[in-house]
Amino acid sequence: MRYQPLLALSACALCAPAFATQYLSAEQAQQLMFPDATAFRPQPLALNAAQMQQIEKLSGLPARSVNWRVVGAFKGDALLGYMVLDDVTGKFELISYAVGLNPDATVKQVEVLTYRESHGGEIRLPAWRRQFVGKSAAGGGLTVGEGIANISGATLSCTHLTDGVRRIAAIGQVMLKK
Amino acid sequence: MIRRAQPWLGTLVEVSIGAMGGAAPDPQNPADLQAANQAINLAFARIGQVHRLMSFHDAASDVSRFNRADAGEMLAVDPHTWAVLELAQQIHDSSEGIFNIACAPRLVAWDCLPSPASVRPVYEPSAAVLRCEADGMVRKLAAGWIDLGGIAKGFAVDVAVEALRSAGVTGACVNAGGDLRVLGSEPWPVAIRDPLAPFRTAKTVQQGEGAMATSAAYFSAKRHIGQQVCALVDGRNGEPLPGSTSITVQAPRCAVADALTKVVVATADTQHPALEAWNATAFII
Repeated sequence: MRYQPLLALSACALCAPAFATQYLSAEQAQQLMFPDATAFRPQPLALNAAQMQQIEKLSGLPARSVNWRVVGAFKGDALLGYMVLDDVTGKFELISYAVGLNPDATVKQVEVLTYRESHGGEIRLPAWRRQFVGKSAAGGGLTVGEGIANISGATLSCTHLTDGVRRIAAIGQVMLKK
Repeated sequence: MIRRAQPWLGTLVEVSIGAMGGAAPDPQNPADLQAANQAINLAFARIGQVHRLMSFHDAASDVSRFNRADAGEMLAVDPHTWAVLELAQQIHDSSEGIFNIACAPRLVAWDCLPSPASVRPVYEPSAAVLRCEADGMVRKLAAGWIDLGGIAKGFAVDVAVEALRSAGVTGACVNAGGDLRVLGSEPWPVAIRDPLAPFRTAKTVQQGEGAMATSAAYFSAKRHIGQQVCALVDGRNGEPLPGSTSITVQAPRCAVADALTKVVVATADTQHPALEAWNATAFII
């Protein structure tokens, strides 16, 4: 029994990111990207080996996942475009983001949904990442609009995020282009 | 507060709106939300434009066109690029050359930037590589590469703040990876990273109307062929500036604050004459 408070403390340390902000839910992001849409339909993608190879060739990056979360935006029957949801892990941070694609698969807009930094080591722990990944809407301990103050400091580059956008653009070219 | 973030200029740029027409927008009110999002869209569009003009990585940018040009060539650049080059020259002159956009060959040599061409120019810190001429023209004076990574983020923040103002925003904060500017009289709390533990807050500052920029080596420091290097360079001699401190400069304009941080990083002098010349102040953590 005497260990209980300690356990509670360490569990809390695992779930509390150092700096974190929730900017948008997935629903808010799709609304922003396609304000004229009357319907949004999930169109999850599963890539086969040949498609993954093609994506790697186009983007110069590993295709990374077989399954991708895609939402189609429609006005009546007309396709307005797609939104692809993804999470990327940097050296120090985990970013959930959404990429809006036009029907010709060109990138329309990129919006960050959530941003989480770790105190250091936890970013590499699968358990730490698992509690946030895919929870771009409410969840992971933050609600929309919540977050810390602005941060000033040395600039943290976001290469992994721009790589992620490039990968999704290639997925769009191979899988979604009309 | 209505707040969004997008990747631009190699970092995350955050736009937060606190007031429009003098009142706080209600995120639950569709009309407020739409007005705020339109203003944010405009701000990001302007930031995107600065990104495309001043990116070292994009072959079509004004910076890349300049870097590929031959010595003696005259180039027409966008008025934004011209304004940044002119401001960079002025800050260079008032800082005894410490702030120097012509350090790019050093950053390329350290693998902090990709090489824009196969033939690398000889790096001469004291030689001028360009001159701003009339009518938005720029003359390349000598072989060399420039990088606006030390000033363009600040400039983009300034441009975004003007866009927000023109869209009726009266309270906002635009933050490009730590270089930020507040619009309006209401102060915004800003957490400054602890240079010895960057994921913790060293201190919180109430930032009123004006700009703040912080520079430190903790995210870019690395070893390159046995030498400790980082993205901060002393423009006088091309030496890297990997210190363990964090420098914050406050100034009316973010481009100025951004550039002046390098002067204080190099000198550790919070009373450097360049600060007073630009109506800026600095502190070291």
